[in-house]
Amino acid sequence: MKIALAGNPNCGKTTLFNDLTGSAQYVGNWPGVTVEKKDGILTGHKDVVIQDLPGIYSLSPYSMEEVVARSYLVNEKPDAILNIVDGSNIERNLYLTTQLLELGLPMIVAVNMMDVVRRNGDKIDTAKLAKALGCPVIEISALKGEGTKEAAALAMEEAKKGVQNERPHVFTGSVEHALAHIEESLHGNVDKASSRWAAIKVFERDAKAIETLGVPTDIISHVEDHIKDCEKEMDDDAESIITAQRYVYIQKIVGECFKRSPRKASTTLSDKIDKFVTHRILALPIFILSLCVMWWLAVADGGPGTILTDWANDGFLGDGWHLPFTMHESKAEGKYKGMDFEAASDAFAREDASKSAWRDAYKEAYDKKNGEGAYDKALEAFNEKAEKEFKPEKDGDEFEKSEFEVLDEAVAKTVVAKEVFVEDEETGEPKAKECDCEKCAKKREAGEECEGCGCGCGEPEKWNVDYAAYQKAAEYEEPEPGDFGVWVPGIGALVGDALDKIGVGETVKSLVVDGAWGGVATVLGFVPVICIVFLFLSFLEDCGYMARVAFIMDRLFRKFGLSGKSFIPMIVGKGCGVPAVMAARTIESERDRRMTIILATFIPCGAKTVIIAMFAAIFFREMWYVAPLMDVIGIAIIVLGGIALKKTRAFAGEAAPFVMELPAYHMPTASGIVRHTWNRVKAYMLKAGLIIFPACVFLWFTMHFDWGFNLLADEEIERSILHDMGSWIAWLFAPLGFGTWQGAAASVSAEIAKEQATATLGLVAANMEGASTAAHVSNLFGSMSAFPRLAAMSFMLFNLFVPPCMVAIAVTFREMGSKAWGWLAVAFQLFVGYALALSVYQIGMLVAGGGFGVWTAVAMLVDLFCLWMVVRPARKAA
Amino acid sequence: MPLTLIETGKTCRVRAVGGNDAVRRHLGDMGFVAGATVVVLSEAAGGIIVDVCGTRVALDADLARRILV
Repeated sequence: MKIALAGNPNCGKTTLFNDLTGSAQYVGNWPGVTVEKKDGILTGHKDVVIQDLPGIYSLSPYSMEEVVARSYLVNEKPDAILNIVDGSNIERNLYLTTQLLELGLPMIVAVNMMDVVRRNGDKIDTAKLAKALGCPVIEISALKGEGTKEAAALAMEEAKKGVQNERPHVFTGSVEHALAHIEESLHGNVDKASSRWAAIKVFERDAKAIETLGVPTDIISHVEDHIKDCEKEMDDDAESIITAQRYVYIQKIVGECFKRSPRKASTTLSDKIDKFVTHRILALPIFILSLCVMWWLAVADGGPGTILTDWANDGFLGDGWHLPFTMHESKAEGKYKGMDFEAASDAFAREDASKSAWRDAYKEAYDKKNGEGAYDKALEAFNEKAEKEFKPEKDGDEFEKSEFEVLDEAVAKTVVAKEVFVEDEETGEPKAKECDCEKCAKKREAGEECEGCGCGCGEPEKWNVDYAAYQKAAEYEEPEPGDFGVWVPGIGALVGDALDKIGVGETVKSLVVDGAWGGVATVLGFVPVICIVFLFLSFLEDCGYMARVAFIMDRLFRKFGLSGKSFIPMIVGKGCGVPAVMAARTIESERDRRMTIILATFIPCGAKTVIIAMFAAIFFREMWYVAPLMDVIGIAIIVLGGIALKKTRAFAGEAAPFVMELPAYHMPTASGIVRHTWNRVKAYMLKAGLIIFPACVFLWFTMHFDWGFNLLADEEIERSILHDMGSWIAWLFAPLGFGTWQGAAASVSAEIAKEQATATLGLVAANMEGASTAAHVSNLFGSMSAFPRLAAMSFMLFNLFVPPCMVAIAVTFREMGSKAWGWLAVAFQLFVGYALALSVYQIGMLVAGGGFGVWTAVAMLVDLFCLWMVVRPARKAA
Repeated sequence: MPLTLIETGKTCRVRAVGGNDAVRRHLGDMGFVAGATVVVLSEAAGGIIVDVCGTRVALDADLARRILV
C-alpha cells in the first residue's frame, strides 16, 4: 500500500516522513528542500510505503520539482493521500487541499504544527472541517511526534475503505453548472473518480493535463462555448475564476471552523530580523561577513579550526598527543629533567641538527681523503661487522664507540660543520634565536617581540659544530613524551608499531604507512575543518536565513539574467555539488535551471574546502583573507560567467520573476544541527575509506613500480609508472606553473574526489626534504617554479574551478537531460578553471618580475576574450 | 495603484494581477488573487516583503509592480 505525503512547501512533510519511517531525510527551513520523491517503509507495517513528495502550492506545476509531485499524484495514483496542512497558515494550505480532493483518491487531512496553533491561542474545529471537506481531519505535530501514528493509521483505513463521502462543492453558480456539464461530456473518456479534476482542467484549458488525460478534441470544442459563456458572465478568464472561487470557498469554511485569537499588531521577531538582514545596504555586507566568520572559525591561523586540524594531523592521526591538563615538567633523570615537552623538543631539535650536519661534514671529509663513496662502504662494513660480532653479554668495547672513532678519528677531529641551523617547519628557513637573557624574558612576558635588543634575539640562529660538540650532541636522545604527561599514541604511530610487531617487509610497510594510510590520513586530518563548515551551513539552512539570502541576491543576479532562486543551489553547493545540482530543480525556467547547474559548482564545496585549508595553511598563513576570497572568486565567476552565458543565443532572455515564501525564523535545535552535520561528515569520512583509500593504494603502486613491475627505491622514482603517466600530460600544466608529473598527477586524481588532490600531493611530495607534509608540499612547489606561491595559488585555483568531481559531473549530465548540455557544462567549467589559473600565474609572474613570454601573451589574449564575452552587447531573446 | 507604492505597514486589497499566464497563476496559487488582503511588511534590497494569507512572501520589484491594489 502506498501513502503519499502531499502539501505546501515547508509545511513539515519531511519531518512527518522521518517520524513515520524512522529515516533521517534532510529537513531544512526553506521552501524547496525536498526535490525528489522519497520512499520509506512505515515503522511496524512492512507492506505500507510512505512517500515524501516535494512541496507544491497547487496541482498546476510551476517548477520542475512541482512537476515531480503532480505527475506522481495524477498519473501513478497512490492508495491514499495524506495531505499535510500547516495549521498556522490554514487558508493558503487549504487551497491545495481543495485540489487534492478533486483527484478522487482516498485522502485524509493532517493539520500540522498544532503546538504552534495552540501557543498562538487559535482553535480549529476539526469535526466541522472534516464535514466541510468530506474527508477525515486529524491534528498532529510532526516535530513533537503527536498524533502521527494515528494519522498514518487513519490514512491506511481510508485507503482500504475507498472514497465514500461526497466531496465538497467548491464552485457556485454558472461555474458549477459548466463543470457539471463538462463532467457529463467526459463520461466514458476519463476515470470516474477523477472526473471532477479532469473537468476543471478542461475548464481551465490546461493543455498539458488535457493531453495526458487524452480527451478527444471534439469534446473540447463542444464545451468551449460553455466556458466562454461563463467567462463572459464573470468578466474574467477561466483560470482566474477557478482560483478566485476556491479562495471564496476556503474563506467560508475557515470562518466556520477556525477561531483566530486576537493578536497584537506589533511586528514579530522574524520581521525585525528581516528588516536587518534584507536591508537595502547592509544585506550584502552581512552575508559576506557571515562567510568570513565561517572561514575564520575553520581555517584562520590560530582559530579553532587550525588548532583542531593540527591536533588531528600531528596528534590523533600522527605520532600521538598529550592529554590536556596532564602536562608537567620531566621528572625522569637525564638531559631533559626539569624541562617541559616543548623546551625538550626544541633542545633535541637543536642537538639533532648539530648531529646530522656534523655527520654530513664528516662524510664529505672522509670521502675527500679516501675517494668518492668510501664512507658508505666503510660504514657498511662496520655495521656488518658490528651485527655479526656484537654480543651484548660480552659488551665489546669496540662497539661502544661511535663509527667515527673506529673509521678514522684523526679526520673526525678536524671536521667542523659550519652554519648549522634548525629548520622552521613551515618556511624551511633557519629558526629565529630565542635567548634567555632577562631583558628578553621581560619583553616576551609583556607580549612584545624581542628583536634588536643586541643579543641576537629574533634573528636567524646559526652555529658551528666541531667533534667535541658533536660528541656532546650525540648524548641527547629523543625526549620520551611519556615523561612529560599522559601520552596518547596517534593512529599513525600505532599502525607503524603494529606493522613492526607483525614483522612485515619494508615494502608492505611503505605501502600501508606512506600509501594507503598516508593518503587517507591527509584527508581525515581535515575533518575538523569540514565539521566547522558544515555546522555553520547547517545552522544557516535550518534557521531560515537561506530564503532571505536568495531574496537579497535576487537584485544582483537579475543583472545577469538569473533570479535569486539560483543562489540556493549555490549555498547548498558550499556543502556538496551533488545536491546543489539537484536543488536547481526549484528554478521555474528550464533555461535558468540549466545555467544554474553550469554555474552552481563554482562555489567551493566541502571537499574543495580541504584544498583551500591545505594551501592556506602552507602558503598563505599570514593572509587570512585567502580562504574567504575563494568564495568571493566563486561568486564573481558565477556573476561574470552568467553575464557571458546570458549573451549567447542559448541563454538569452529575462529571468523568471522572483516570488518566494519566507519561512519564520526559528532557533534550530542542537540535535537537529548535529545530526545534519554528522550526516555530511559521515559521508565525507566514508568517501575517505571507499574512494580515497583505493585511489591512494593505486597511486602508491604506480609510484613505487616501473612498467616491468619492479619495485623501485625511493631515489628511482623517476622510472615509476606514475612519473611517466604524469609526464605525458604535464606539459598541459606548464603554463600554469605546476607542469611537473606531481602537479599533473594531483590535478587529474582530484577528479575522483576533490580532496584527493591533497592526498596525492602528500604522497608524491613524500620524497621532498622537510620534516612534515607541509614542508614537503612547500618544497615540491619550490621545485616546480621560481615563484612557488604563485604556482601554489594557480594550482589551487585550477583545482577549485575546473569541473567538479566525477559524481557531480554525472549528476550534471543526468539533470541536464542530454549529453550535449552535459558536455557544454564540462567544457565551460574546464575553460574557466584553466583560464583563471593561467591568467593568475602568467600575469602574476609578469608583475613579480618573471619577464614577458609567449604564455604571458596567451594569458592576456584569453583575458581579453573573456572580457569581450562579458561586455559585448547582448543578443535579443530568441 | 501598484503594490510597490504602498507604504510599509499598510494593509491593502488586491484588485488585479497582471502578467503572463504562468506567473499569474503561480501568484494566485500563493494567495495573490483579487480580493485578497496584503500587508506590506518591509521594503528591502530589490523588492518587498508582504504578508498574504498569513505567510511572509518576498517579491522582486518588477513582480510587485504587476500586482494592482
